[in-house]
Amino acid sequence: MAYIVSPNPHIHAKVSTRSLMLDVIIALCPAAVVSFLFYGLSEIAIMAFSVASCVFLEWVVNRYMLHRASSTGDLSAVVTGILLAMNLPPSTPLWVVFIGAVVAIGVAKMTFGGIGQNIWNPAITGRVFLLVSFPAIMTDWTIPAGGLIGNVDAFSGATLLQQVGLLGAKAADAMVGLETLFSNMGGSAGEISALALLAGWVYLLVRKVIKPWITLSIFATVALVAGIFHAIDPAQFTGALFNLLTGGVILGACFMATDYVTSPMSAWGGVIFGVGIGILVMMIRYFGSYPEGMSFAILIMNTAVPLIDRAFHQKKFGRA
Amino acid sequence: MAKTTFAIGGVHPDDSKLARACAIEVLPLPSVVYVSMAQHLGAPAKPVVSVGDKVLTGQVIAEPGGFISAFVHSPASGTVKAIAPFKDLAGREVPHIIIDVEGDEWVEGVDLSDTLITELPDREVILDRVKACGVVGLGGATFPTHVKLNPAPGSKADCLILNGAECEPYLTSDYRIMLERTKEILVGAALMQKALGGCRTVIGIEENKPEAIAAMRSALASLPYSGIEILPLKKKYPQGGEKQIIQAVMHREVGSGALPISVGAVVQNVGTSLAVYEAVQKNKPLITNILTVTGNCLPVEKQHNYLFRIGMPLSYIAEYAGGIPKGAAKIVSGGPMMGRAISNMEAATVKGTSSILYLSEESTRRKLESNCIRCGRCAEACPMGLEPFLLRRLWKAGDMEALEANAVQDCIECGCCLYSCPACIPLLDHIRQAKGAVLGAIRARAAAAKAAAEANQKNS
Repeated sequence: MAYIVSPNPHIHAKVSTRSLMLDVIIALCPAAVVSFLFYGLSEIAIMAFSVASCVFLEWVVNRYMLHRASSTGDLSAVVTGILLAMNLPPSTPLWVVFIGAVVAIGVAKMTFGGIGQNIWNPAITGRVFLLVSFPAIMTDWTIPAGGLIGNVDAFSGATLLQQVGLLGAKAADAMVGLETLFSNMGGSAGEISALALLAGWVYLLVRKVIKPWITLSIFATVALVAGIFHAIDPAQFTGALFNLLTGGVILGACFMATDYVTSPMSAWGGVIFGVGIGILVMMIRYFGSYPEGMSFAILIMNTAVPLIDRAFHQKKFGRA
Repeated sequence: MAKTTFAIGGVHPDDSKLARACAIEVLPLPSVVYVSMAQHLGAPAKPVVSVGDKVLTGQVIAEPGGFISAFVHSPASGTVKAIAPFKDLAGREVPHIIIDVEGDEWVEGVDLSDTLITELPDREVILDRVKACGVVGLGGATFPTHVKLNPAPGSKADCLILNGAECEPYLTSDYRIMLERTKEILVGAALMQKALGGCRTVIGIEENKPEAIAAMRSALASLPYSGIEILPLKKKYPQGGEKQIIQAVMHREVGSGALPISVGAVVQNVGTSLAVYEAVQKNKPLITNILTVTGNCLPVEKQHNYLFRIGMPLSYIAEYAGGIPKGAAKIVSGGPMMGRAISNMEAATVKGTSSILYLSEESTRRKLESNCIRCGRCAEACPMGLEPFLLRRLWKAGDMEALEANAVQDCIECGCCLYSCPACIPLLDHIRQAKGAVLGAIRARAAAAKAAAEANQKNS
């Protein structure tokens, strides 16, 4: 009988790309379930279709364009599919979802060589492509009928963030209270419940999948920038709580900015990255033409990651 | 006392000390022993016997081949059958002295009794006997002990650290001797302490061996020595790494490329301490050591801790222990993190042999490599603070300058990076190659600089 001969180490930790992605999927479950409860069957359909599209597209690109073994077993395409669905309004037609998946997987991920090689977060790239291509569809916040939790006010039309423009900062601020933590209607599917998102984030921290620094620095920066501007002119600028709890700040900070591939590897790099996202999102919200800027903020900072990584290195043993 | 450990990196593999309850058993002698001339770090030993010579157990059969080298003694009495190349466990040919075993008749002057001798002889006597008995470090590197116990003029030891961490999973030989040969180890510590001029002496033991810590503490209380303490360490691999245990115990960092003595530290394994005791107090040369026969595909009742003689074929030991178990996919000599895969079971034991470890296919077969997902686990795990993902990239790009600037030569090859990589990228395989190339370049540069300086001197 022949025995294996290979260099050390001879054992391996019970961790794989697949197990990490599985943890992310588990962490996304609470927010996904909330979106199903509020938006009903159509949301389930969007998410299922989005996941299936992403996995299918990755398989197709590997098989017929790159001619190599499929990488779908690592489950990263499933994560992208879930995140893409969570970034879309509940009324998005499925053909638009598919285009989003083509851009996310086909363009943002596989063009660069598949998992680990992409510069920009695939799901966000897909969403931003849809936002600039189909602005009407992507800002139609009509809540579809069939939500499992009844008594959803027919009032929808605009998200809280959009209402800043309609009603002014003061009125918008007043609409955000503690109950916003539990449900924040009128927005992308994944943005409904801050609490569900944070529960998933805590799960990832406990499982040691991610470090808290990126997320915390985004929250702190958003709170600080909003706090300062709000203190200067409360009539024009919304406050810290409003900006933390509305739009994609929590979803983005917990699940998109913490993507290994497109975020810095060092703790301090992560803090710089998070501060950059926090400043950018607030500048876009206050002064930009879009009511929400989380996607753009993350994509811009994704671009800066190689530079940040170059600046921060580990402390080496026995060296100054 | 608060438990302490090293500061950077490290991993926590399951300790799998399956053979911890197995008391040490003595292996009988085989009919032939194969004694390697390269059982220590440094120059191979030079045989001083000829074919046909009668030798006694404990008789010198080879002398040091250089300053960093050691004596080798016969592990049995019998006739020298051949002095010839013989394959080691990796299949490389190494000169061996092959002896037909006729018995176990010892040379004169060796005390074979169990009586504990606690009076310490003079420093010179200690150093002489450690050298004459061929004692080498039994923690893995097999560095000649007399060299370490005799620091170069100008350097002074502040602290002798006895390494009882045994941080490698599965291995239990150090644990067993700490339980069964407790007092001898402590006398050995006192001997080395005296040889080093009476410095503070700390015995570091990981917290997963509470029985060893308790046994050491109670034995220490019954012995007349001062300046020796037992220090429990947090369980973390690679605690037993020389630089790591120095940091855990002394909170000092040994600089890159520097020796432990530069921060006043001397590290010896507890097994070495036992060998020093036997050499100095009993005049008994180092021809025995303890090895663990263990593994995750071996039933616990078939696991053993054996007292072996050097020169015993591994196959002989495996056979004596009940044969190679079904389901063993890899056989390792040493721990699963830093040990070496055995390709040749006919190879013989050496002074530093610590285990025959059988690993199952499922636990040891490497998974297919996939893309790096930049999770940073390798950098987090590296106890030297290196960035393995970066070093691998630089090696593939052939950027030797950047490799050196990123300290690839500091790698201690502990395996934490590859162990913790979710994409199963063979990081250490690449880094080991890169380290070799960079160290070669550094040495070549030093040699060139020396030659240039000499040429200058000649000209002026």
